Amino acid sequence: MRHFWAFLFLLVPILGVLTFLLAPYYNHAFPRDISEQGHVIDQLFMFILSLTGIIFVGTEVCLFYFMWKYNGQSNAEPVKYSHGSHTLEVVWTILPAVTLLFIAIYQMNAWADAKMRRPNVPVTAEVTGRQFNWDVRYPGPDGELHTPDDIVRVDGDIHFPSGEEVLLSIKSADVLHSFFLPNLRIKQDVVPGMQQYMWFKCREPKEVVDIVCAELCGWGHYKMSGRATFEPRAEFNAWLKEKAAEQNVRQVAQAKEEKKEEKK
Amino acid sequence: MSDSHAPKFSYQPALPIPNGKTCLWLFLSTEIMFFAGLIGTYIVLRFGAVAWPAPHDVHLSEPIGAFNTFVLICSSVTVVLALEAAKLNQASKAKGWLLLTFLLGCVFLGVKLYEYNAKFSHGIYPVRPHGLVYDKADIHYAAAVRKRLNDLKTDLTNTGAAVTPDDQARITVIDDVMRQVDEAEAAIRNEPDSPAGVIKLMELAYQIYPPHDHGTVLQAAEAGAVPPAALVKFAALEQPVAGEAANSQNAEREGLNEKYPWLRLPIMIPGGPMWASTYFLLTGFHALHVLVGLIVFALLLFKTLDRSRANVVENIGLYWHFVDLVWIFLFPLLYLF
Amino acid sequence: MSTITADAHVHSHDDHTHAGSFLSTYVFSRDHKIIGIQFLFSTLIWFLIGGLLALGIRWQLAYPWSSMPILGKLVYSAEGGQIAPEAYTMLFTMHATVMIFLVIIPILAGAFGNFLIPLMIGADDMAFPTLNMLSYWFMWPAFFAFGASFFVGTGPASGWTSYPPLSLTSEAQMFWLIGLTFVGVSSMMGSVNYLTTIIQMRAPGMTMFRLPMTIWGMFITAILQAFALPVLTAAGFMQLMDLKLGTGFFIPEGWSASNSLRASGGGQPLLWQHLFWFYSHPAVYIMILPAMGMVSDMLSCFARKPLFGYKPMVYSIAGIAGLGFIVWGHHMFVSGMNPVLGMTFMVATMFIALPSAIKTFNWLGTIWGSKIQFTTPMLFALSFVSMFIIGGLSGIFMAATPVDIFIHDTYFIVAHFHYVLFAGTAMAVFGAIYFWFPKMFGRMMNERWGKVHFFLTFIFLNGVFYPMHILGWVGFPRRLADPYHYETFRHLLPLNQFMTWCAILMVTTQIIFAINFFYSIFFGPKAGRNPWRANSLEWQAPSPPGHGNFDFQPIIYRGPYEYGSPEVDEDYYPQTTPPPTDRPLAVPAH
Ligand code: HEA
Ligand code: HEA
Ligand code: CUA
Ligand SMILES: [Cu+2]
Repeated sequence: MRHFWAFLFLLVPILGVLTFLLAPYYNHAFPRDISEQGHVIDQLFMFILSLTGIIFVGTEVCLFYFMWKYNGQSNAEPVKYSHGSHTLEVVWTILPAVTLLFIAIYQMNAWADAKMRRPNVPVTAEVTGRQFNWDVRYPGPDGELHTPDDIVRVDGDIHFPSGEEVLLSIKSADVLHSFFLPNLRIKQDVVPGMQQYMWFKCREPKEVVDIVCAELCGWGHYKMSGRATFEPRAEFNAWLKEKAAEQNVRQVAQAKEEKKEEKK
Repeated sequence: MSDSHAPKFSYQPALPIPNGKTCLWLFLSTEIMFFAGLIGTYIVLRFGAVAWPAPHDVHLSEPIGAFNTFVLICSSVTVVLALEAAKLNQASKAKGWLLLTFLLGCVFLGVKLYEYNAKFSHGIYPVRPHGLVYDKADIHYAAAVRKRLNDLKTDLTNTGAAVTPDDQARITVIDDVMRQVDEAEAAIRNEPDSPAGVIKLMELAYQIYPPHDHGTVLQAAEAGAVPPAALVKFAALEQPVAGEAANSQNAEREGLNEKYPWLRLPIMIPGGPMWASTYFLLTGFHALHVLVGLIVFALLLFKTLDRSRANVVENIGLYWHFVDLVWIFLFPLLYLF
Repeated sequence: MSTITADAHVHSHDDHTHAGSFLSTYVFSRDHKIIGIQFLFSTLIWFLIGGLLALGIRWQLAYPWSSMPILGKLVYSAEGGQIAPEAYTMLFTMHATVMIFLVIIPILAGAFGNFLIPLMIGADDMAFPTLNMLSYWFMWPAFFAFGASFFVGTGPASGWTSYPPLSLTSEAQMFWLIGLTFVGVSSMMGSVNYLTTIIQMRAPGMTMFRLPMTIWGMFITAILQAFALPVLTAAGFMQLMDLKLGTGFFIPEGWSASNSLRASGGGQPLLWQHLFWFYSHPAVYIMILPAMGMVSDMLSCFARKPLFGYKPMVYSIAGIAGLGFIVWGHHMFVSGMNPVLGMTFMVATMFIALPSAIKTFNWLGTIWGSKIQFTTPMLFALSFVSMFIIGGLSGIFMAATPVDIFIHDTYFIVAHFHYVLFAGTAMAVFGAIYFWFPKMFGRMMNERWGKVHFFLTFIFLNGVFYPMHILGWVGFPRRLADPYHYETFRHLLPLNQFMTWCAILMVTTQIIFAINFFYSIFFGPKAGRNPWRANSLEWQAPSPPGHGNFDFQPIIYRGPYEYGSPEVDEDYYPQTTPPPTDRPLAVPAH
């Protein structure tokens, strides 16, 4: 097998491309997208994947071809005593430069949409990361955060209205965390001492998805999960009301407890 | 260089200077990046800070700093003179200039120590366990004041000896402050949503350690660190003083800590802890570099500084210029802006 | 004592009770070759440790919470061999720390930089041999500090990036930071020494543009180290102060840990990230530029053909280094940094791919029209090119800010950097060991077993790391002790088990290498001065070179890549061979 090594290297592009082609059939690709804005990121990913895929196949096949053609054992021709080529250098500087510039400009809008153009809607909820849970605080009937009628949940069960723009105010109570919704293609680190916003829109009427913490935050990082439930506005409001009632009952009970304690 | 029996090859150096000097220049560029990191940190933290103390709040004196700058610049001149003398093979003259450089360096460090001491005496330390500086008048501050008062009181009452009138006076002061802490804490506890408690605490804080510069308070207020209501209260509180004698303002107001030096209560300076951290970090590392320079100078003073040592003098001189240059950046950054 | 025999050197490692002359010759040696080999042995041992830590990671990812065979019983006997979550965090933190700070950086600059720089430029030693010795011995406090950190509490567990405030909650972090500082001091001493040597001690005729690419790689790397590292040292010191002295540089307003106020704050957690990446982004190029240089030398030598585009190659190394200073923010796209800043960092990052593209195409140009000899070093060099393309191209995905929102902190990143670091640099290092082994020890390594080693490593490494791209595509987050805790990722377990078995087999494969390595030191066939018929200067010295390196005054007549020159009958034309007198002087490589 004179060309054993050349063919070994040919396996790289073949298997490399095959892996990416087959993976979606085994559900080993993007998790289901339930968002309005996620397809932009998916398309950009696929665009870069095909572009780099072409470059990948091109360069790897080129490598294989040279290894095969210029194998010292079979190539009888004398080596080309060349120190380089000015034209070629210019060509392979300009071409990638143009490609890269194109990618750079092409994606700017998506970035601005994702992180810079905050929608002009009231804050739906405030999410706070803490070791190791996601707490949420809804504004309650008065529509304002940090007032006595706020609805606070600390069980990691977070509900959002679907079909409308959701604006979250996010922060951290202790160390860095990252609020990651794989199914909505959004992620934002939360930094202690910093107040940030993130926004998204679920296009499916009813969905329950994972909330992942994507920034190392201590030994329990792996289990800092939450469940995000998206439901139509009516259901969401009903849920809020129910939770508000629960909270009141709890508060009254607590107050009673305290009274009892005092009496003792 | 290598052991003696190594063959000596000829080389074609790119720079017409000895290896030692090349290496020193490279070393200095790493040093520049080191200080760039520190100064960058200072700038980021300072301009990202909600409030930053004015020089007088933290007992920073521009004239003293300027004097020290002058001293260091002089020492840079004398080290050049030492080099010139060494080049001319005037060993004793070179030694004289070097000794002068050494002394000027010592003066710089001495003044630095004096400045540090001025801060320490007011409880401004770079780090927590000794540091008395608090950023805000909040519950942590109240707790710290209370703790200090309690410690003082137990010291006074547990001596076993009879209570002298002097002690009695002290106890009165302590009780008075304690009452204010209690009031403030009660206010915070009972009305968590109203700024009344915080205002009380701030009043107390300013009694203990009045701001020497009004700007800091305003700055803190603008950035939202002080509740607006508290500010209104303050404007009223400060008015008479500002009106009384605008120019002798600093001398006019005396805090409890200054009036009763034994008290040493925690003090509140908006931005103070971070100021202390960066100030001591920057000047500390600079002082460390000065110290290294002084040690090398001291070692050199035991040698004959003739032409053969001109190289060494030149290298340490370069280093000394660098140390000087760093200070020329630090002085305006820390004292003037 | 003017020659170093391989046997004597190896004995130095198990026998330390010899006379003073022995100590000064082999232990506290100031000879750059000995220091280089000391670095090589130390880093190889740490490489093994780092590899075993990686197996721990892989085990947990394939069989979460199940007792690890053999090792588990030994290390985690208290937990019944099970890896606890905090232990998992420690595993990947220390895996990365060891691999980056104790393996890749010191093996490139410390081992190969030390060994090759004076030999390749025609110097008898480094400019400052004592400083050089110190730079090795300053690694030992780092070895001890990192080693000790394993035993403090549950060990450092904040990732190799040590982001505060999390890092400020761990006591072991103190040892970690001290270790980092010593690595920094060592690298700083090394880099000023290398720079001085390369600038001032080149043999007559060795102009800057006749330097081998290896030296260019080392030179630019040393510049990067000299300029980027001090910033990390400063930052590390500040973190140490935050940890131990209660300052608040990286601690935000009102931050508390375990209910006690640590500092009154005003600091910025993001500041650490900026300072850290200001160093650590250039550091990733510190970890690849010397490898690129060595690969260029191996490629040209075994293609028997001049390097294609020498000057563009040099300029692109410089370009990578220059741009490398202004792209650090691409690690922080979703960190909460100002998004406008993110956009500028994105553009800079895109453009850093350009010099890499130029290098890649020139490597392909080098083997075009050549006569390739498939020796072991050549196979590793070729695989470097092949794998670097994969690792580099995945960098483009992450440089695209919107895509990075999704793939940041997923296995896509892990795939990226293992392709550039393991499949790239580590493979180049294997190649370099096979290539320069004869010069180091005077004997050849076994070619057949070398090829077996290459083949298996190549297969298994792709088996471990290629599927990581796919995991990243699903959004599989990194640094999770149990990713299957999430329903979204539960179906990825079988793929992870496959990867783990590839990893186990890959580490096992290295036994072949280790045996080959040690066997050849003693019993390998004797190598002459120039077993590969190569041009560059080190091959004209004896193998192994004696004290002072050369037994003649090297004078350089041409660049190092004159293979297949029509001027001479052989297919190589060493840099020191004077041109034939009856012909005009050789045209200098342009
Ligand atoms: C040797 C190490 C090395 C090298 C060389 C690189 C090279 C590159 N890296 Fe990588 N990187 C790391 C080591 C390295 N990286 C590490 C360790 C991390 C993670 C740290 C952590 O978080 O723990 C990381 C993380 C990392 C991130 C952060 C991701 C995140 O956390 O979200 C990004 C983002 O932009 C990035 C980008 C790049 C780019 C654009 C290059 C470019 O230089 C690549 C250029 C090369 C090519 C593009 C291929 C060859 C070119 C062609 C074939 C020509 C044609 C190509 C085109 C026209 C596109 N890297
Ligand atoms: C140079 C860098 C380097 C190298 C070589 C490796 C090598 C390997 N890495 Fe590593 N890895 C990192 C750098 C590196 N890694 C970094 C920076 C991280 C991020 C950490 C973080 O998140 O903070 C990481 C994280 C990381 C993870 C992710 C953990 C997580 O996020 O949860 C995983 C998981 O699979 C992994 C696996 C492996 C494997 C299987 C190898 C294998 O390739 C290992 C193979 C080892 C060998 C082959 C050793 C062989 C030994 C010899 C050759 C010596 C012979 C001895 C003598 C001759 C004396 N690594
Ligand atoms: Cu919270 Cu990870
Ligand atoms: Cu980077």
